[in-house]
Amino acid sequence: MNYVHNMITDGLAFAIPLFIMAVGGIFSEKSGVINLAIEGFQGFGAFCGALLATVLGMYTGMGTQTTLYFALAMAFVGGSLYATLHGLLCIRFNADQVISGVVINILGVSLTTFLTSQLSGVFYGSASNKFTLGVSDRFSVPGLKSVPVLGAVFTNIYPFEIIILVICTYLWYLMYKTRFGMRLRACGDHPQAVDAAGGDVARTRFIAVMISGGLAGIGGMCFAYSLLSQFSPSIYLGYGYLAIAALIFGNWSILPTFFVCVFFGLARAGGYQLCLFMGLSSQYTNLFMTFPYVLTLLLLLFFSKRNRPPRAAGEPYDKGKR
Amino acid sequence: MTDQNYIVEMKHITKRFPGILANDDVTIQVRQGEIYALLGENGAGKSTLMSMLYGLYEPDDGEILIRGRKVRFKSASDAADQNIGMVHQHFKLVENYTVGENIVLGIEPMKKAFGLFPYVDMREANERIRALSKSYFLEVDPTDVIADVGVSTCQRVEILKMLYRDAEILIFDEPTAILTPQEVEYLLRVMRELRRGGKTIILITHKIEEIKRVADRCAILRRGKLIGVLDVAETTTQEMANLMVGRNVDLQSRKTEAYFGEKVLEVDALSVRNDDRVQVVRNVSFDIRAGEIFAIAGVSGNGQTELADAIAGLMRVESGTIRLNGRDITRGNIRERTEAGVGYIPEDRQKYGVFLDFDLCSNLCLRRYYKAPFSKNGILDFDAFGRYADELIDDYDVRSAQGRKTSVRSMSGGNQQKAIVAREIEEHSALIIFVQPTRGLDMGAIENIHKQILAERERGAAILLISLELDEVMELADTIGVIYNGSLLKIAEASALTSQEIGQYMMGVTAN
Repeated sequence: MNYVHNMITDGLAFAIPLFIMAVGGIFSEKSGVINLAIEGFQGFGAFCGALLATVLGMYTGMGTQTTLYFALAMAFVGGSLYATLHGLLCIRFNADQVISGVVINILGVSLTTFLTSQLSGVFYGSASNKFTLGVSDRFSVPGLKSVPVLGAVFTNIYPFEIIILVICTYLWYLMYKTRFGMRLRACGDHPQAVDAAGGDVARTRFIAVMISGGLAGIGGMCFAYSLLSQFSPSIYLGYGYLAIAALIFGNWSILPTFFVCVFFGLARAGGYQLCLFMGLSSQYTNLFMTFPYVLTLLLLLFFSKRNRPPRAAGEPYDKGKR
Repeated sequence: MTDQNYIVEMKHITKRFPGILANDDVTIQVRQGEIYALLGENGAGKSTLMSMLYGLYEPDDGEILIRGRKVRFKSASDAADQNIGMVHQHFKLVENYTVGENIVLGIEPMKKAFGLFPYVDMREANERIRALSKSYFLEVDPTDVIADVGVSTCQRVEILKMLYRDAEILIFDEPTAILTPQEVEYLLRVMRELRRGGKTIILITHKIEEIKRVADRCAILRRGKLIGVLDVAETTTQEMANLMVGRNVDLQSRKTEAYFGEKVLEVDALSVRNDDRVQVVRNVSFDIRAGEIFAIAGVSGNGQTELADAIAGLMRVESGTIRLNGRDITRGNIRERTEAGVGYIPEDRQKYGVFLDFDLCSNLCLRRYYKAPFSKNGILDFDAFGRYADELIDDYDVRSAQGRKTSVRSMSGGNQQKAIVAREIEEHSALIIFVQPTRGLDMGAIENIHKQILAERERGAAILLISLELDEVMELADTIGVIYNGSLLKIAEASALTSQEIGQYMMGVTAN
């Protein structure tokens, strides 16, 4: 029973940061800009957040939990700023969006690794490849946590899970109910229609890409404060790509993507718990950690046909084109 | 200074694009509440001129006055502010949105939930759209999704989009090009209805018939220049056609008397199955002699395209034989057939006729590139390509922005077709197959292609013409075969058939 309980708790703790990254991807792609750069965005955002957390921790003596909130905000800012690079390349200079995304990922890894080792030397006296952050507090909801099985949902919650769910609810509203969202989705289907109606395609897409970067940054920061307890190059584990897989299976729609993320989270945590349950040695953990990726491959086989990506995704907007 | 009656004035407008002078000192003045037509061939500069009125481009020279006041449009929304709207030739609609959402896009009506959260109020918008659609006879259901509705509904949505924005000046860019005759009828009625409602309409078209039926006045553009402004009621169709093309147009082509030679093509009991294993050509037999135009008439989808593809070698033959000058080519591959003397002008010219992203030069040399002098020991000689291409461009008057270096994609449909026809005719093949050779072309280009076909006939080629236009068949053919459901129901001399009779056979009636 304990294994199932842990699977749910850990699964959600993984799924929810993954979800916010995927929502970021949805914003970008729905506006017509293919976003393979989520991996780079989340790393760079987390780097910025971790940097701020380290500075705050060193010079103000603030505790882990308080710095976390500043770090999340900073990760959003850092991620969006880094995303302007993708925006400039894809929107301003009409670069190939796939290539731009890949380049931004590679650049993100090397840039943050380099900066981390340089700056950690300044802060800690000796250069290392990480900023130590610690792990966020967790809390349980009294009463609800004792419900059989489902009580796991209310046990050992990271506060950032709640924050993310609130943000994503707002983003859903922004995407489907507001003027901005309506134009954003139109940009991804037929940008000429937006232009003809007096909307600004480039601006809308740019904002969407920046939102996407910021959200990915928050996701990365959460992983740094939960799975890793530090910022280091190990943040580039490929979760950004997993978020892309999630949004594709979720058919570029926020709610279905949420369920896909939960599914991925449970699969990952389930694999780990299964390994423990069978009493296998830790070297097998890695094998079980391939679960979500094997599932991704299988899902790709079955769901690819049904999916409808935004029609104009990947196409730089060209006014003259008919 | 300015006449108050003019709602739109464009004075001395000049617009250049790389390599092309699209508009050259054009001046037009449109009165409030009239239907003003812009007539010209493809590439005459009509759309460019209107794009400037709609704020998509800015003119290099000249000025635009709306209601007597000088304006400068930097974007479509500037034009929209002056109550100008445009129905584009290619619809600008978001496919996964509803009709209503498309109409309000850009000026969404907002409401606040709990006085706090703004949201787009579709309910109110849809009500307004229903009211508008009733008052102008523009039937739409605002909750339908665009992906599920047809082209004529899409067009109505585009019109409603303008009306929803209180547009007073409506620009229609080739609105009837994609409509069936009944839908055209309906649209013309809507346009009259709009005029009655006090709207001013500018109609871009190259179809003189439509102008004759709805327009009050008509400006004619040719190669970027304004040729004249006519009162439609006082001008004949022939006059307009002549002005548009710039010379006397033969609305009837001149056919010389026929001199038939030997049998060139003999098709015997030919049957073809398509990819779905359906028999689309059934037991078809006919001959074409040298100097004969054999036209196949029929309603689209009755096997005529497959028949042409089977003769050209694009489709496998199930049974029967095809002989060219007595030689069996039934199983030959495409190159064997072309070298035996089959020229082919395909129906879908952009897909099968040219490489859109190659330059004109390469496209013109496609039939010869592997032979000397174009290829020596497997190495291509591009000087030879260039010389040959320039020759064809001159002889066949293929117009483009940068000569043989032009990417074919950027050329007009008429000139793409001219290039294909030039390439195929220049092979002097014994048999030339024309499938829908004038589809989507304007009057000048059609006349040009018809002349080429007749010239080939006089040279002594056997010509297989497949056309959905009965007029074209009647005008050119020496012999007519009517195809229905894959079978040739009737083969007869063209002079022995009336268009009514052909129409009957096309519907499958064989009783008489």
